[in-house]
Amino acid sequence: MVTVDDLLNMDPEDILKHNERPDDQAIRNKQQIYYDDVEVGQELPKYIYRQTPTHLFRWSASIENFHRIHYDLDFALNHDKNPTILVHGSWKQSVVPQFLKDWVSPGGWPWKARFEHRAMLTPNDVLIMWGTVVDKTEKDGMGIIELEIGMKTQDGVESMPGTATVVLPIRGGKEIPYPFIPPQD
Amino acid sequence: MSSQQAESKMTPEVQAMIGVEGDIVEMMGVVDQEYLRRFAQALMDPDPMYWDEEWAKNSKFGRLTVPPIMVSYMSSRIPLGGGDPVTQAFEENPFSDGIGSVKKFGELPNVPTDLVRVVNGGNELELYEYPSIGDRIKFQHRYSDIRERVGREGNPFLLITRETKFYNQDDHLLCITRATTIRR
Repeated sequence: MVTVDDLLNMDPEDILKHNERPDDQAIRNKQQIYYDDVEVGQELPKYIYRQTPTHLFRWSASIENFHRIHYDLDFALNHDKNPTILVHGSWKQSVVPQFLKDWVSPGGWPWKARFEHRAMLTPNDVLIMWGTVVDKTEKDGMGIIELEIGMKTQDGVESMPGTATVVLPIRGGKEIPYPFIPPQD
Repeated sequence: MSSQQAESKMTPEVQAMIGVEGDIVEMMGVVDQEYLRRFAQALMDPDPMYWDEEWAKNSKFGRLTVPPIMVSYMSSRIPLGGGDPVTQAFEENPFSDGIGSVKKFGELPNVPTDLVRVVNGGNELELYEYPSIGDRIKFQHRYSDIRERVGREGNPFLLITRETKFYNQDDHLLCITRATTIRR
């Protein structure tokens, strides 16, 4: 698996070749990751995107988001003084639970995440959704994994610094309850 | 103008909005396969848990699942029969940004500020249960926090956090979202 640092040393076209976002068959074949197998410092698979204006329009339409900064270039330039139309924060925030879900599936739980929106992302930026394990603990028979997450541009600009907590089963331990019941402190 | 001289945007009227919550309202319609199809395609998430019933039946969850975050966007669906809020927004303000002045179902009252630019400042998500196709979703908004910050040029701006809890028809908590909006 390539690291984020490896990707940031590549040209954008080469970064795109290292997308690890699973297709439906890969999701079907996904083997459970157990708490025991996770190490601090481990990186999650990178999800790589290049959003075109058409992708932005499709997202606006799908969630009925009428905010003009995402599709109205004249408004984006002259009213909001942005460099062009912008990638949606709502799209980025929706990638996060997808990214976490895919990593913990089929038996873990993508419990929570928090992140900021710090940079304007524009069409044709190459975007790298990344995550790194920063801590792991056992609580109530569940494996609690703390992550740093974010979405970097091809230039290394961090657009969405954040953290996340996911829950993995412990090998030979109990199933993660569903609906999810958080561990008691 | 220095930061000391800039007029605070955290007025008593803005302060009073902290903790204001809306009614618990049921969103228009139900969680439906067509909305999920469009959402999953736009997200580029091909998970068979969204569309392969046989696969889903044999999973831990026993049925098709829906991304919890999706229902947060469904809460913006505008019911038919109540006028056209997009047209109304532009009648009231020809320079509407298309979102700030568009009245939404179950929305909180606006924070009374003359800061007009809206930027997404950050989000929090807590997930507890996947919605299911056919669910009727209820939600409740609350202004959980409003803070003032001062930008590098000395101009104050507001960070407005709106918490929303989403429940299904059986009152199961599905997820909590907190969206922080920068108004400047």
